[in-house]
Amino acid sequence: MSTDHESPKAHRPEGAHEPHAFFAHHFNTPDQQAGAAKLGMWVFLSTEILMFSGLFLAYFIVRMFYPDMVLAAHEHLNKTAGGINTVVLITSSVTMALAVRAAQVGNTPAIKRNLLLTIMFAGVFMVVKYFEYTAKFEHGMLPGKYYTAFEHGYYIPGNPHIFFAVYFCMTGLHGIHVLVGIGVLTWVYIRASKGHFGPNYYTPVENVGLYWHLVDLIWIFLFPLLYLVR
Amino acid sequence: MTETKLHLHGKPVEGFVELHEHISPVSTYMKVFGALLVLTALTYAVSYMSLGPASLPVAMIVAVAKASLVCMFFMHLKYDERYHVFIFLSTLIFVGIFFTFTIFDLSSRTKLQEVQGTFFLKDFDREPEAPPPMPVEAHGEGEAAPAEH
Repeated sequence: MSTDHESPKAHRPEGAHEPHAFFAHHFNTPDQQAGAAKLGMWVFLSTEILMFSGLFLAYFIVRMFYPDMVLAAHEHLNKTAGGINTVVLITSSVTMALAVRAAQVGNTPAIKRNLLLTIMFAGVFMVVKYFEYTAKFEHGMLPGKYYTAFEHGYYIPGNPHIFFAVYFCMTGLHGIHVLVGIGVLTWVYIRASKGHFGPNYYTPVENVGLYWHLVDLIWIFLFPLLYLVR
Repeated sequence: MTETKLHLHGKPVEGFVELHEHISPVSTYMKVFGALLVLTALTYAVSYMSLGPASLPVAMIVAVAKASLVCMFFMHLKYDERYHVFIFLSTLIFVGIFFTFTIFDLSSRTKLQEVQGTFFLKDFDREPEAPPPMPVEAHGEGEAAPAEH
């Protein structure tokens, strides 16, 4: 159609989607732009997995060296709270997936509703986590030299301060990811309120969704390893 | 998919295909949600059966099943470009290399140190500063009643 090389739309092939309001001039088609963003997101998620893998390895090493201590110490984690948080996070993952679907079909009220639900579940997760952490602080079950559980009437044989170091590092880093998730979800919610997203352009919703699913994915492994395994 | 040609600097580019996002029906998401809840209940139940050394592999298999469901349906990897699947799986391969070599090193190092007669830090047990009081009766959840001082 167009052979005008001066125009930014010069290389858009016939049959490609129409450019949207957020189409950057250095891409040939909107789909190319979306694909590039998604590729970048997947590379970022890979680095996230590699970052958490170090902590998972630390857990497995502690478990390998001190199996009895890990078994005794993990009994002091609140399984009910962990289970509630698992269900909360899985539900938030579903609402996030539904928000992406709403964006794909161009239903802005549904995007906003599902994003709000996701943010709400993320908040519930952090509240439960807050109560869990408070209980651990009160019982002196803290990492390293701060471990004083024996002063509070809890005697765990071995060296449980190492287990609680691993516990706080893993759930703490995961909790930071949930907080960041609440932040980016709020940003996407504000943009959805402005009506930025539709079937032609929903890259931010999709990529924030991918991030949120990864946070869920990590918890799927954290929960049985820290709370349940015996 | 329509046959489209991408022209770059006036020349057609080979192998250009437009992306077409797959839109899953809501029922698919609800089925996956149900499956995830069932698997969560299964993990919970399995932890109460004393499976002994099998408990870790079983818990991991259930977790991997849940993770695959999330990846395939929520993260759309099932319908996505294969290249994203490749990135994801290659990450897991590198995690596997990381785990294998570190665990192999740590588990074989013990033997070396035994041969050399080196004191190994692993056998160091931290003694609490205060003499440990009697173990608390309720030895279950974290909410166990704090002991009187």
